[in-house]
Parts: sequence; C-alpha cells; structure tokens
Amino acid sequence: MHKVKHTRPAYFDYDLIVVGTGAGGGVAAHKASVAGKKVAVIEAEKLGGECPNYGCVPTKALLQAAETFKSASESERFGITATKVSFDYKKIKKWKDAVVARTGTEEGEAFYKSEGVDVIHGYGHFISPWTISVDGKRYNAKNFVIATGTKSVAPPIPGLADTGFITYREAIEFTSPPKSLFVIGGGAIGCEFAELFNTFGTQVQIADMADRLVALEDPEVGELLGALFTQKGIKVHTGVSITRVGKKGSQKVVQIEKDGKVQNIAVDEILVSAGKAPNTDLGLENAGVDYNRGGIITNDYMQTSNKHIYAAGDVVGPYRFTHTASYQSRVAAHNMFHRENKIKAQYYAIPRCVFTDPEIACVGYTEAQLKDKKIAYQVAAVPITVIGRANTSGVDSGFVKVIAGKYGTILGASIVSPRAGEMIHELTLAVQHHMSARQIAETVHAFPTWSEAVRVACQKLKSR
Amino acid sequence: MKHIVKRGQHTEAYDEKKLYASIYAACLSVREHPGSAEVIAAQVVKDVGVWLEKKHEVTSNDIRKQGHQRLQVINPDAAHIYLHHRVIW
Repeated sequence: MHKVKHTRPAYFDYDLIVVGTGAGGGVAAHKASVAGKKVAVIEAEKLGGECPNYGCVPTKALLQAAETFKSASESERFGITATKVSFDYKKIKKWKDAVVARTGTEEGEAFYKSEGVDVIHGYGHFISPWTISVDGKRYNAKNFVIATGTKSVAPPIPGLADTGFITYREAIEFTSPPKSLFVIGGGAIGCEFAELFNTFGTQVQIADMADRLVALEDPEVGELLGALFTQKGIKVHTGVSITRVGKKGSQKVVQIEKDGKVQNIAVDEILVSAGKAPNTDLGLENAGVDYNRGGIITNDYMQTSNKHIYAAGDVVGPYRFTHTASYQSRVAAHNMFHRENKIKAQYYAIPRCVFTDPEIACVGYTEAQLKDKKIAYQVAAVPITVIGRANTSGVDSGFVKVIAGKYGTILGASIVSPRAGEMIHELTLAVQHHMSARQIAETVHAFPTWSEAVRVACQKLKSR
Repeated sequence: MKHIVKRGQHTEAYDEKKLYASIYAACLSVREHPGSAEVIAAQVVKDVGVWLEKKHEVTSNDIRKQGHQRLQVINPDAAHIYLHHRVIW
C-alpha cells in the first residue's frame, strides 16, 4: 500500500474527538470536558453504546423478571401459596424497555450538551491522522479516542446464514419466548439467554465446542453450571461440532456431531453467541493506527501506534466488559492530558461475572493460567452449604474457590453462588492489592451472609 | 454522492469505472480470461459499493485496500498485481 505523508494541521476544531459513546468512549469524553477541553463525540448508533441499549442492562432486566417468576413459582417450599403464577412476556419486554430508558441513554444528547460536548451522529471515517469525516463533513482534533466496540460474528457453519439466526440484539426484543431454542456458544451470553428462556418455558439446548460451559474459567465452574442446567431441563451439548444447519418445514435443524455420532435437532429459533469481532472499519490505515483480528493494538497507556490516538473498550480487549471499557477510557483520558504522570492499564484483577442462577463470578488467575506460567499455587474450596445463609435460603449448590500463591497471596478466585457478583469484590480487592488469605480469614464477616464462604475458604489456605 | 479524498486532500467524485478498469487490468495481467476478468471486476465493484454505502468520504487508499481484499479471495495473483503495480500497462 502506498504511504501518504500527512501534515499536522496548525489549527484544531477540538482537543479531543471520541469515536463511540459506550463505556470506552463516554468516560474519556466526560473526563476531558470536566478538565475544560473542547470535546466532540461521534456516534453511528444509539448513544451509550452496547451495554445500556443491547447488552448488560436489558439482559439483566429480563433476568430479574425471570428470577422473580421463578421465586414466585417455587414459593411453596417456604410455605407460601402463590396460585396461578403466570407471566405476560409483552409486559416483561415493557419492563426491560423502561429499564433501558432509565439508563439515561435517551437523554444522552442533552447530557453531553450540558457538559459542552458536541454530539455528531454518523459513521466516522479517518481521512488523515488528525481528520475524521462524518457524512462528508470533516473534523480535526489534537487527540482521538477510538471506542467503536464490537459486532457479533457467526461461525462459518454450512447453511447457518441461509437458514437464519438471531443474536442477543434480537433476543432482547422478543414479545414472547420461543417454543424451542438452540444456543450456539456456551460463553457468558449464551448461558444467560439459556437461563432466561428456560425459566419462561422454552425448550433450550446449548452447545459448545469446548468440553464444558464457560470454558475459559476453572473447570469446576462450567461443570457445575452444566449439571445445574441439565437439572433444570436445559440440554447441554459440550465437546460437539455443529456440522450443518438447515430448514425442515417451519423449523430449523441443527446437526451436531460428537465422537463420530451425528444428531439432528429441530428447533424454532437459533441464537448465535459464539464470538464478536472488533469494529475497525473506520479508515484506521489513513490514521496510521495498527490493528489485527483481535482489535486495535495499544500499549499499556492505551495509545495506538499513532501516539495522539488512543483506543479503549471492546475494540481493544483483552476483556470485553463495560467495567474494563470504562477503566481503559479513564486511563486513556488521564494519559492524554497528564503526559508527565502517565498510568498503565492493568488487567490482573478484573472481575468476570455470568448472571445465571446461581451467579458465577471469577477474578484473577485460573489454575490453567498459573500452570502455564509455572507459578506455584495452593487452592482451597468450600461448598456454599457450609455457611448459614445457604441453610436459611434453601440453597444447596455452589462453592467458593480461592487460589493463592505459596505464601498465601491471593491470586484468583471462582464463585458459584447466589450474589456471587457482589461477593467477588472482596476477592478482587485482595487480588488488586496483593493481600494474603490470612488477612481475609482474620476479617470478621457478618453472619449469615454469602460472603462468609469467602472467609471460610481463605481460612483453609496456608498463609503468612 | 461518494467522494474520494486524494493524496493532496482534495476530493473527487467516486468513479466506479476507474476501479473496474484497474481490477480488470490486474486480472488480464495474470492471464485471466477477458470474460472472467469482466465478471470479477464487476463483482469487486459491487462489493466495494456495498462497503461504501454508509460512507460519504473515503481515501483512494481505502478504495485500493477494499478492492484488494475482495480480489484476494477471487484471484490472489491478480490481487497482488493490483496492490503493488499502480500502472499496469
């Protein structure tokens, strides 16, 4: 490709232009405007990005409805008679829509304007390292933050595209649950939708190439989740390859293969949650920004190969969570305007949650990662049933597993338990600040709380 | 109308005939049959047109990259010639 030499403009329209208004972009825009900089944001879709509009927020609103329905349906064992417990999925969708509206994305433009940030709607395309074009109008800036996120990608399964499928974006817009659903992909998104639709009576099947669900976490996590899913009536297919997808009448047929055995499964709908690809089609070559299949390449300061252009969020990775996106965005904004006091983005204490029932939450290293790095470690795990709260709540499945170094420094943890998403933060703090298991074990935990299991697990570790 | 930003930062209207001609020439230079070269060039122009749909202003390098990416799938040799030889004839 022929390189074009660009000249730095003498005058800039903005101090910062942020491309994408999700967590990866919004935080940097806010921080820069608070610091008195002239800022603009460019958004091609809804303000707020993926999380509040299509991701975390709507799915958690739907899962809350599912949890409430399940609690009401199973109230008999607590001596409560709730007759004719039923649901109206249209109203559940309305609840979800109301929750999404409450996140403030609809008033996002007014918010940005109140902060003095210009909102530019449209697809941005870099023309040069300092100039971006939106709908034929050019804007230049001293600095940029690229936070364009990701898009769903479908695996190359023969017949899948012709047969048709949905992604999480369509799944949150249903006005009635499908009668049967095949979920391709056993990661966090796939498991949450399997949980959701199973609760509302859909016959759900979930498949993954790996030998367990949520395969990136420690084996016990996926194995327990798989067993609990099976108990609930979800058919779990692990270690399978999907060889073909086709149509039979009004139904869709998924052909799966395991150990040479082929099985055809007919369902009403197929949900693909098997990966995402970064949105890098914005003229990055013209801006001198390097990227690959995984996304935009940055250094620890969130700078791209062109030092005045930063990137944050899902388009960068390594994790694709709202909390990592906002963290990276904060780091980028700080480094942009405090060049004498730069900070590095670090990822060793990022909590990872899956909002199934029970919840899953992990932090730090997994055992497999420590083995790869040849780091000596010790493990302590306790079933959730050892604590009083499990007894009072009638919960009989779950565990807390803590991994520590040779001398007791906490390196990682996995929790499968109600409220695991809340419990993980004690261990996240410990991993972040290199605390020892003894420090947590000696801390008084209130009785009866789920977090007591964390203390009990830490007590079992050898620690200085 | 789609605009192409040239090296000197001036713009000109997107002319798909130019892209067609260069893809066609690249195909012929690797001894692709003229009929087949026409089909390939038309396909590449169509695909690049789809890519351009949501864009108002792109650079000539963008067009070259997109053309190359699509040609690479159909005829890698022609794609190499297209990318590295600005003047084929």
